[in-house]
Amino acid sequence: MDAIEVIGLTKRFGDNVAVNGIGFQVKEGETFGFLGPNGAGKTTTIRMLTGMTGITSGRALIHGHDITRETLAAKRLMGVVSETSNVYDELSAWDNLVFTGRLYHLGKAEIQRSARDLLDTFGLSERRHEPAEGFSKGMKRRLTLAMGLVNNPRVLFLDEPTSGLDVQSRRLIRDVVQDLAQKDVTIFLTTHDIEEANVSCDRVAIINRGTIAAIDAPEKLKQTFESLQSVEVSFDTTRPGLLEALRALPQVNDVRKEGDKFRLYTADPPEVLGSLCVFAKEHNLRPISVTTLGPSLEEVFIRLTGLSVGMKKEAGGTDAGLV
Amino acid sequence: MPGWFEGVFCDLGAAWAIARKDMKIYYLKPSILVSSLLFPFVMFLAFAIGRNAPPGTLLPGLLAITLLFSASSIEPVSIPIERRTKTFDRLLAAPVSVQAIVLGSSLSGAIFASAIGVATTAIGLVAFRTGVIHIVALLLGLALTSLCFSMMGTLFAAYRTENVGEVMSLLNLVRLPLLFISGVFIPLASMPAWGQSIALLSPLTYAHDLIEFAFDGTTQFGPVADTAVLVLAIIIFQAVGALLYQRSRE
Repeated sequence: MDAIEVIGLTKRFGDNVAVNGIGFQVKEGETFGFLGPNGAGKTTTIRMLTGMTGITSGRALIHGHDITRETLAAKRLMGVVSETSNVYDELSAWDNLVFTGRLYHLGKAEIQRSARDLLDTFGLSERRHEPAEGFSKGMKRRLTLAMGLVNNPRVLFLDEPTSGLDVQSRRLIRDVVQDLAQKDVTIFLTTHDIEEANVSCDRVAIINRGTIAAIDAPEKLKQTFESLQSVEVSFDTTRPGLLEALRALPQVNDVRKEGDKFRLYTADPPEVLGSLCVFAKEHNLRPISVTTLGPSLEEVFIRLTGLSVGMKKEAGGTDAGLV
Repeated sequence: MPGWFEGVFCDLGAAWAIARKDMKIYYLKPSILVSSLLFPFVMFLAFAIGRNAPPGTLLPGLLAITLLFSASSIEPVSIPIERRTKTFDRLLAAPVSVQAIVLGSSLSGAIFASAIGVATTAIGLVAFRTGVIHIVALLLGLALTSLCFSMMGTLFAAYRTENVGEVMSLLNLVRLPLLFISGVFIPLASMPAWGQSIALLSPLTYAHDLIEFAFDGTTQFGPVADTAVLVLAIIIFQAVGALLYQRSRE
């Protein structure tokens, strides 16, 4: 049985379709990334999956429990960590955890054991009796994540868990999430940090304008776009018209200037390397550095969501994983 | 344990957890406690000045007003604030029914208003050298009136906004007219016929009547009818509140 099964999920706000018939499955123990630009429908999707917002049409199942019909049974299996650190500022870290445990109908002993363990894990034990209003942003974020784990969930929904955090808190949260994944907890992660999705997720879905643009493993998505391979070159000097001249080289789809380097996008890096040598000789230029690069998940994301400015249309490439 | 019974048990537990949380965060602040205890005395002055009635006879009306305002004032403030800070999302994401959310939010207000009501009564009894004839009616009046108007406050807070002012404006549109049509300021017998008809629709009318019966034994509708109407109002506020909170998440 899938941990999360989504079938034709749609959400309308009046005439506006925020999420338009999306569908996917997440296996038990899988870390599933949900990427998309602002307003793409990520938060609306997570709110529907967690029963915080109603569904216009379609279904969402959490370990087989329909979130609309068996709402409470489905919610008992999940932990939710919102994008905002929504802790009760007036309560202490301890009281925040105890209150959350009571909402999940846990017994007193279980709540106290869980609260103690989580405060230790997230480095909050020493300040457990202080009101959360005096906590730093990182501490509040850690407490938010701890509150999402009080009920020992089988599915954890994380909305931008490390956004805007210091390195220490970021690393701690990342370690805890990876540890949970090893314990077969299913993780549904929305993030703007594409590199985070790249290193943490077994699969990612890219949502744009309410529809799923692609679902696959990060590496497979990268391979989808052959022409996002590139050759990065830096010359000893630069001169006007160089960008246009490089763009005219055979097999080059696009060229971007990035600092003192030029990045030439191509489906055939060896061919471009050969052309570059001839080009440098003809224009009396000396290459200082030359690097060939594979496509990054960020580039795949930009291509799929159409966020790029001035990128040429993908000419070739397979459509594996694209929806 | 049957499934439905377990569900009710879990919901009651969650409602009590919400009530305890609200008490801790909102009601037990020194500023709220002090202002809530001062409120009846300010109201007493507003009541008593310029009237010839013995101060002791004003106690039922004073108590009814105190319960109305103490019970219905905090949740319409706290719920929009919790929407803004997204802590309200915690309740929506938890395995808790909307009935439990409405009941829990209202319980805290009811307990708080009852406590303020007991303090007001105690001080009033000593200051006015008066007595209580029917203690059960007084306790019922305190508890039911507090829960009824706390639920009314929670119901108004279902209006989906993060702005406290919007909820309070709507609530005061109802709360202030209630004072004038419920026999608190103007006795029901002195009202025109149309006023008496409207008074029958106000739960405060029955709350005041029940409390008056507890203090001096006089009653317009009888304590059983007063109790029944207040219970009915509580059930209606709970049901409509749950429906509105359910709709507001769709």
